[in-house]
Amino acid sequence: MIIVKNLRKRFKDFEAVKGISFEAKEGEVLGLLGENGAGKTTTLRILATMLKPTDGDAQINGYDLLKEPEKVRAEIGILFGGEVGIYDRLTARENIRYFAELNNMKKSDIEKRIDELSNMLDMNEYIDKRVAKFSRGMKQKVSIARAIVHDPKVMLFDEPTSGLDVTATRVVHDFIQTCRAEGKVIIFSSHTMSEVEKLCDRVVIINKGEIVANGTIPELEKHFNNDNLEEVFMRLVGGAQ
Amino acid sequence: MKHVLIVFKKELIDMFRDKKTIISSILIPILIFPIMYGFMGFSQKRITKDVEEKGIAVAIESENKDASIVKFLESKEDLKITDVTDPDEAVKKGTVQAIIFIDKDFDEILKTNKPVPITIQYDDTNQTSMMAAQTIRQYISEFSSSVVTQRLTAKGIDTSILIPIDIQEKRTAPKGDDGIGMMIFAMIMPLMLAIYSATSVLPAATDNGAGEKERGTLEPLLTTQANRLSLLMGKYLAITVAGVIGTLASMIGLFIAQKSNPELLGKGMAIPITSILIIALASICLSLIFAAIELAISVYARSFKEAQTYLSPVTILVMIPAFAVYMMDPKNIADVYFHIPLVNIICIIKELIVGIYNPLHIAISFMWAIVYIAISIFFAKFMFDRESVIFRV
Repeated sequence: MIIVKNLRKRFKDFEAVKGISFEAKEGEVLGLLGENGAGKTTTLRILATMLKPTDGDAQINGYDLLKEPEKVRAEIGILFGGEVGIYDRLTARENIRYFAELNNMKKSDIEKRIDELSNMLDMNEYIDKRVAKFSRGMKQKVSIARAIVHDPKVMLFDEPTSGLDVTATRVVHDFIQTCRAEGKVIIFSSHTMSEVEKLCDRVVIINKGEIVANGTIPELEKHFNNDNLEEVFMRLVGGAQ
Repeated sequence: MKHVLIVFKKELIDMFRDKKTIISSILIPILIFPIMYGFMGFSQKRITKDVEEKGIAVAIESENKDASIVKFLESKEDLKITDVTDPDEAVKKGTVQAIIFIDKDFDEILKTNKPVPITIQYDDTNQTSMMAAQTIRQYISEFSSSVVTQRLTAKGIDTSILIPIDIQEKRTAPKGDDGIGMMIFAMIMPLMLAIYSATSVLPAATDNGAGEKERGTLEPLLTTQANRLSLLMGKYLAITVAGVIGTLASMIGLFIAQKSNPELLGKGMAIPITSILIIALASICLSLIFAAIELAISVYARSFKEAQTYLSPVTILVMIPAFAVYMMDPKNIADVYFHIPLVNIICIIKELIVGIYNPLHIAISFMWAIVYIAISIFFAKFMFDRESVIFRV
């Protein structure tokens, strides 16, 4: 369970997040919907303890963001979009093992877990090859395996499909569904409407650092009296008349 | 601590799987000195050999070819007397190495006991020409002494009157060593150690900071349970090791160069093992300092390219103190130098090479080194903790 309370983040002369609050529950995919620069990535970075909030607080599975950052990081797995950041000169297994070790897993558990993930994500063919020559989809799987090697209870996805082709996108979407089935808490940021409609149980719409709507998709459509999420979105962020 | 080791191990594996790193930090340093000095030795030998085999082409400009000095010079086998039409042009083109202008009344003036002018014209931008002038000067002074002897004998005076003091030289360089080699080494070694300590950590520092940012691997790393200090220290140690290996490789290169070109770098010397250990420790200190500074700068940079731009001045920064004390006599270094950053470590290395073991100097320098290392690590940590640095994209 994630509880976010009045979170704020100010960079030098710019307030990226202006006091947002929301909750996310187990087995539920919460969509963070917003335009580029709305504050989605900043919010996720704060939840991952990479950035310190200027004000406000959040609890992740009962751990306080500010007081117990290392315990919070043990609870979360995070998957980034854009370039997949993995080490080219290491093999897929070494990449995953590195993160497992940094997440305090026991040696004996690590190999077992990697084999398990390799089976699950269908990576057996190339698990011991160096990553440099992998296709985008293969790299995506390595980065997924890396994100969940320590079996986190919370998954954060930051525009995970941006720049991906259809196959790689499918891999990510399937993975999100699996996480939901496993009862994880999932926050998923995106600016793609169709993706949000397809995957999310609930949507938080952010505009310029503030939450402008929060609810299930049917709730939002009913509330704004429009059965098209995109139009609801456009109305909220002020793009349409 | 566990995380520090994990990061350290991973970074070393990553580094040594990169052919670029192997080439730039091991292969090139080992090869550069032997190749450089090999070429220098080769061209030096060629000039000497040229002179030995072909002799020195010299023109004598005098209207009186029967003068005693002309006969004397002609009798010298290694001088090949050549006739030229345009003396200036001949020297410029190198058809003759030097021209000797001799007065036609040479012998007459000589008899009056007045100094006779002789002019040697040579090209002082050309090494062979300079060598020729040197040889001619020697022959002329040989001729002068014979004239002096004749004059003194004619007056019934013993020529030993000209040598009031007979100098006997006794060299202090340890037996089997040669002083010049030691001097050259005392100049080159500290310079090289300082520059290599700064440059050997460069590729690794660039890769571990800006490189990690550019590839997008830094953010996932920050979401692991390892805290930032552990990540930083693991990287820092790995970079330092890369630096030490690079420095070691360059020293091996210098050693090979010296063995194969003793005429340029001296025959070498026996430095006691304790001194070698202290020198090694001193250069490890340099690597530790530069690794931290360069990692901090590299983390700040947005990309590889930017990191390289920011880091090249650091290399120049180390060259200033290194060259400032390059010519300094290792036997007379004032105490104050051992309080100046970088300069002190370079001076310690200088002293040890020539066999000076000054515990006070060593203690002062290493105490300062620990202070610089602490400051530079603190700086790196400060940078690594700043959101505006880590997420500067």
